[in-house]
Amino acid sequence: MGAAVDLVLGALALDPEAFRSLLASHAPRHRFGFAVVVLAGMSLALGQSVALFAERVSPRRFLATLVVQALLFGGSFLAWAVSAWAVARLAFGAARPLGDVVAAVGLAHAPQLFGAFVLTPYLGTPLQTVLSVWTLLAVLIATAVTFGLAIGQAVLAAAGGWLLSLLLQRTIGAPIVRAGRRLRAWVAGTGRRPSRSGPR
Amino acid sequence: MPLPDLGALALVALVALLVAGALSPIETLGWWAGWYGDTIDELQADPDRAAPGEAEGDDAPPRRRVDPWVVFLTGIHAVDHVTFDRAEARLVARLRRALPAGRVVEVFPYSVTNRALTGERVFARVWRWALRGKLSGRRLGTAAGFLINLRNVWQVLVSADRRYGPFYNQGTAELVLRSLRRRGFVGGGRLVLIGYSGGAQIALGAAPFLAERTGARVEVVSLGGVMCADPGLLAAAVTWHLSGSRDRLQAWAGWAFPGRWPLLRWSPWNLARERGTLRAVTIGPCDHTGRDGYLDERAHVADGRSYFDVTADVLAAAARGETHLPVAAT
Repeated sequence: MGAAVDLVLGALALDPEAFRSLLASHAPRHRFGFAVVVLAGMSLALGQSVALFAERVSPRRFLATLVVQALLFGGSFLAWAVSAWAVARLAFGAARPLGDVVAAVGLAHAPQLFGAFVLTPYLGTPLQTVLSVWTLLAVLIATAVTFGLAIGQAVLAAAGGWLLSLLLQRTIGAPIVRAGRRLRAWVAGTGRRPSRSGPR
Repeated sequence: MPLPDLGALALVALVALLVAGALSPIETLGWWAGWYGDTIDELQADPDRAAPGEAEGDDAPPRRRVDPWVVFLTGIHAVDHVTFDRAEARLVARLRRALPAGRVVEVFPYSVTNRALTGERVFARVWRWALRGKLSGRRLGTAAGFLINLRNVWQVLVSADRRYGPFYNQGTAELVLRSLRRRGFVGGGRLVLIGYSGGAQIALGAAPFLAERTGARVEVVSLGGVMCADPGLLAAAVTWHLSGSRDRLQAWAGWAFPGRWPLLRWSPWNLARERGTLRAVTIGPCDHTGRDGYLDERAHVADGRSYFDVTADVLAAAARGETHLPVAAT
């Protein structure tokens, strides 16, 4: 537990050593990285939950939807990780097990563990931008460390991975994306109840 | 037992502040989602009890034409819709006397569910303890009472937030409307929302909904208002932003909310100024609160009036719809 906290703190401090330590560990590191992503996704979903409240979901459905959104966030992360892994391999000949990419780049999502604070009135919106930039920097460092790339190459690998995952989501992955949206709507129970103008 | 170091305490306080901030919109959002029941009436047995000293103190409709209807939205120190602050109670009483044809109603603006902080809430004990501290006048007690201010500041920011404002402000407008209707308001005429400090933000937020729902000419009077460039500025027929030359808090708000920067010419604040519907007036050498504050009866201006008198005179004149306000020289 202490080691996990140290790794997260290191990632928050944008310390490359945190990512190296994780990659050198014998623990199931890809599970750890993915757990960070799912928890970050849950926190971020809570931070951005105003839409769920606006849709008047019940407390039970609200919690269930947060879990679904966290898993969808994890799924989209995996799509990006696979794409970045492929781009790094093809463009820079950087071979590394996919599990390592999931581990290190998953850990790089640690800043988004604070995503729930996006709920904070007035300050939440700029905070979301700060968290996005913070996460982006951590992802670039994690990518560079994982593949042994220079930071410029890491930028290209990460951006290329993002573009490729976007392309996949809009082509062969489109049915999966649609299914994810339907699942979210089903769990939230939205889109089938009559709308109301507000409590009286 | 070793004492924790100050850095650790400051960190804990900061985290507590951030957590309180993150949780602050939940009451509003939960209300909107119907998590507390479907109606506001279910939430409190007597949300609209008449304030002490209120003319026609019962809820019977007035037998005469009321002009103007005035809603007083108190500052961030409040725990209930009836103010506990003696000076503020005197101000409301003075407004009632100065507006014999009008009706002055108090609303607790920091809860869309109209629940007093000391009422039926999970943390009611904490707020009662903080209120006792605030009223005790002791230094430690005052610090505890500051928790109430912090809690209500977050609600002001909920109103100012573009994500939550539409929910919060609609809820406040509903509360105001219910309070007014119970006192015989049928719509039309002049409706003046007086907001003190953070209450001004809440007043501005509610203004568009009230204008739309009532057909009244809605005017907003901000006393040392801490408010953003709320779209309500464009819905209010007139907004008076009254401040004292020593009130640094309201001046600070001008910097804290980017929409009020002169650079952003298209913001509601600057558009309202350009249209002449937002009128900023310095009423005297007053501070925001406390000694030399707007409600200080011991400090006097050159013409012999106390700061309290100046504030009451200016508010009453603005509520009457006068365009030249009896301000004091600074």
